[in-house]
This record gives sequence, structure tokens and C-alpha cells, in this order.
Amino acid sequence: MSAVARHNVKTTGSDARAMVFAHGFGCDQSMWRHVAPHFEGNFNVITFDHIGAGGSDAGGYDPAKYDTLNGYASDVVEIGEELNIRDGILVGHSVSAMIGALAHVERPDVFSTLVMVGPSPRYIDDTSYKGGFTVDDITDLLASLEENPLAWSASMAPMIVGNPDQPEHGQELADSICKLDPVIANGFARATFTSDNREDLCKISARTLILQCRDDIIASEHVGRYVHGKIPGSKFVLLDATGHCPNLTAPKEVVSAIRDFVS
Amino acid sequence: MKEPKNVSFGSETLPARYGLLTTDQTGKVVATNERLALWLGLDAFQMIDARFVEMLTIASRIVFETSIVPLLSLHGHVDGVSLDLTDAEGNKLPVLLSAEETGAGERKVTSFVFLLADARRAYERDLSDARTKAEDQLTTSLHEAQLREQFIAILGHDLRNPLASIRSAMNILSREPLSQRSQDIVELTNGSVRRMSLLIQNVLDFARNRLGSGIHLTVTTGTDLEAELEQVVAELRSAQADREIQLETSDLDTVRCDVSKVGQLLSNLLGNAVTYGDPSQPIQVRAVRPGADSFELSVKNYGSAIPETAMAKLFDPFVRSTSQEDQQGLGLGLHIASEIAKAHGGSLRVRSDDSFTCFTLLIPQGVSN
Repeated sequence: MSAVARHNVKTTGSDARAMVFAHGFGCDQSMWRHVAPHFEGNFNVITFDHIGAGGSDAGGYDPAKYDTLNGYASDVVEIGEELNIRDGILVGHSVSAMIGALAHVERPDVFSTLVMVGPSPRYIDDTSYKGGFTVDDITDLLASLEENPLAWSASMAPMIVGNPDQPEHGQELADSICKLDPVIANGFARATFTSDNREDLCKISARTLILQCRDDIIASEHVGRYVHGKIPGSKFVLLDATGHCPNLTAPKEVVSAIRDFVS
Repeated sequence: MKEPKNVSFGSETLPARYGLLTTDQTGKVVATNERLALWLGLDAFQMIDARFVEMLTIASRIVFETSIVPLLSLHGHVDGVSLDLTDAEGNKLPVLLSAEETGAGERKVTSFVFLLADARRAYERDLSDARTKAEDQLTTSLHEAQLREQFIAILGHDLRNPLASIRSAMNILSREPLSQRSQDIVELTNGSVRRMSLLIQNVLDFARNRLGSGIHLTVTTGTDLEAELEQVVAELRSAQADREIQLETSDLDTVRCDVSKVGQLLSNLLGNAVTYGDPSQPIQVRAVRPGADSFELSVKNYGSAIPETAMAKLFDPFVRSTSQEDQQGLGLGLHIASEIAKAHGGSLRVRSDDSFTCFTLLIPQGVSN
């Protein structure tokens, strides 16, 4: 099965430069539905689902591969290769900001521009680094996900794997926003919140934009500024939006910041 | 749904056991109720302007920001989400939460309703533990069952060699000049060897079938079938000299089947007929071609009917008669006979009433043209 099929890749827009939107932990490509369509006029807009999310095919799930964010990054590279992307723009939200950065480091020719929305290279505090969470916080999170798989009953219902030949498929997908495979989601949570990719930041040679929200408890402002400081020549924009999901809560601000950067 | 502005603060009587909370577009509390304030050990008025997300445990904050916020935004509502609030003393307060987002832009508000879910959460945890335990036990049981069946297969195989030696020894002995008594002993021993071979073959077929490889067939077309059926009947006649066994065959030259398996099936059915049939009346074996393409083999004995209760499980393995006269054997005979029928794409049927009992093998496509 191709990566394009496996990851439910959707392609719209023109034949121009590719702009790939990567969703973070906790949802699927519908995270980008208020942002991505605004770029269809000038870009080849590509959205996809990470393994275990939305309409992805979880058949090939290998826990060892997805032990770290590199497994997710290699999927993004594979999609880029299959679509013959050159000098593409990779827009990554939350953990996918770092996944995108890893994909760029692996194949800088495929992705040469990065937009990082709410990035964090490490969520757990270190001696002089404030990631925002203690080891105990993350242990608590992972334990509560493990021990209480019904916790997200609303969002973690079993994924609907529909048959594209059947007309009701579209309806099913519309109803399955943010459907996650619980086992894979727990693995994704572990890979995300125990990651430490600080050393990878200096390997980034892409033109990079960092979009930072106010009052973001997942990736706070000083973490965003830390990322900005480690990536030479990067641009840092502090949005008026609050929380962790400006692509949903303040899409206009996000669209205009990205447009300013890429045009 | 009740408008948030209708929620009263500081009233003498507490609302029913649900917590209410409303936030503005930035996630700050604009209204709450006494019940929630009481649960959290806070003053309802002091909760105003605080950020709702900070009333959650750290783990729940992450779940809320990464999973619940997108759902609220894309779906407009969430129902029955399990999260943990944290009270003024830092204690965890498991709740069930539903929420709805209304309005847009600066007028966007989100209304939450909470129910305490401590007992329910414990119940869910128990359910989840029970499921994990059941899955583990199932895995272990399946593994053990497979080992047992492998053991049976190996045992059955290993028992064949010494049995073959006994058979050869009896062959050699029978060529010597023997007293009548010794000849009888050789004949009895041969009968036991045949009986044991059949038991081993049945057990082996059973184990292989359970291990998933099914009953192995070597299908041929030819004249061997009639000879094989005659041989099976002759063997039983010599072992059961006091029983009359009639054999009728016709037109079997073009029948396609595994000859030795059909012979085994007949042995099993005959064993059954000898055990349960009326000894004063004959057992009738018929092998015929009822249609151009089909083959039929039936074994009929006279005597009392198979009890109604036994009929339903007749072809299940390890089912034995509960009557006094037969307390031997594994109860595999009819099961294997039926599996042999299925392997040939056919069926084994039984008809039983107070006058006679008749088992019939029918192979619909059992003839090569």
C-alpha cells in the first residue's frame, strides 16, 4: 500500500508549489479545514492523517517504528517522495511542527520551508530548560490513558474504515472527525510527550516561521522563543490567539501570518 | 439548554448534583454554579475570570487542549468525556463532562456540565482490567490447547510403530503350524490390532483437524473402493463372528474419493452399529450411486432409536452413550466420520426410529465422468 493511500492524503489546489499540512496529537487532518483551503489558489495543498488517526490505514502499525517521532517523520518523507515534492512547504501543528522539522532534516530537498505552529522540542523540564511539564505529569498522563481507555469516549471511538465505493462513505468520514485508534493514540502520546529533539533544531536549514499563541499550556511562549533562538534566521510571530489550536480558534490570523511568510 | 445567565450564585439551596460552568472565547470563566464551587472547595465568585483549563489536572489539561478543544470547535459539542478536575487542595475529582460551543468570534461561549464520576470510573477500570485478564487467559488457553493437540498427534503417530510390529509378528505366527487355541489367540490379537489402528487413526485425524490442517484426502478413482469396503466388512465379520453383516455394492468404478478414509468412515459406522444394534438382526451396508454424479454409503442396524437428547450432539467429539452397555472409547467415531464426509464435500445424515437406525454418507459430486 502506498503512503498516499495509507495516510488518506487529500490533494487540492493548483500545480504550483506544494504546501503540506500536518496535524498534531489528538485529532486528524480536519484540524486544518479552516486554514488549508485559503491556499488552494496559489499552492498545491496537501493534507493527510498520521497513522491511527482519521481515515489512515492502521494495518501496518509497528510499535517499534513509532516509538519516537522519527517514525512519523519518515511517513511524511514517504508522502513527499511519492508526490514528487521539491522545495515544498511543510506546515506542522503542535508535535507535527517537530515531526516536520525532522522530515526536513532527512530530506531538505523535499521540504525547504517550515511553518511551525506551537512547536516544542521537549515537553518535560530539564535542568535549565522549562518544557512545561514534570516527569510525573507525563507519567500521570500516560498512565491515565493506559488505565482508562474509555476516557475520551467522545473522541476515541473506534476508527471507521469505510469502503470508498460505497456512497455512505463520505457521510461516515464527515461524522468521524478526530477519530483515533486508542492503542496507537497512546503510543503517539508517549512518543510525543517523552520526545527530546532539542539537538535537531540546529540541523534545520529551512526558511522557518514559528507561530506562537498566548496562554498555551502545551507549548508556552518561552518554549516557542527557545525554538526561534535555536533555528538560525527563523521568524517568530506571537499571535493574539490563546490556547494550543489557533488553526481552529483563530484561523484568519494563522492564514495571514503564513501568507505573509510564503508570498 | 438553560442560558448561563440564569444560573444563580450564593442561593440558600444548592442546585441538583451537577456542576455548571461557562467560559468566554479565551477560556476564562464567566459563570458557574454553587455545586461546582462546593466540589472544588472554591468560592463561586472567585472562580470568575479564572481559566477553566487550570481547574483540570495536568494530564486532563493535555487531553483537553489536544483533543477536546478540536472536537468542540469542529463538532460544536462533546458528550460524556471523562476528565479529572482538581480541587483547592489538589485532590483529583473524576468527572463526566459534556460541553457545547455557541456563538462566534468574541461572542463565542462554551457551556460545560459536570457529573461526579468516581464510582463509574472505578467500574470502567474494573471492566477494563477484567477484559485484559480475559484476553490473557484466552491466549494462554489457546496456546495450551494447541500444545495438547500436538501432543496427541505425536503420541498417535508414535503408537503406530509398535502396533505394526505386533501385526507382523501375528502374520509370521499365523504361517506356523498352530494349535486351535493358538489360532484363536492370533485371530483375537489381529482384531485388537485393527481396532487399535482405527482408534489411532481417528485420534490423529481429530488432532490434525483441530490444529487447522483438516482431514487429509488422497482422492483417487478406480476399483479399489469396492475391495476396501469388502475388506472392512470382512475384518469385522471375523472379529464379530456371531453378527450378520450384509454388504451390497453396485457400480462403484467411477467413484472419486479417498478410499482409505471412506473405509475408515465405514469402520466407524460399523463399530457404532455393532455396539448399539439389535444382535439378533443383520447390519446392512449399501454402497450405491443414487444419481449420475453422486455416491452414497449407508449403514443400517435394527434396534431401539437413538434418544432425542443424544441426536443434537451426535457428531460432536467426545460424545458417548450414557447407557450402561458402552462405557468404552473416546466417542470420536461419529465425529471423524462426519468430518471425513465434510472433507469430501459431502454430508453424513442419520435417521433413527424405533424400528431401525441408518447413517448415510452422501457425496453429491463423488463421481468422475
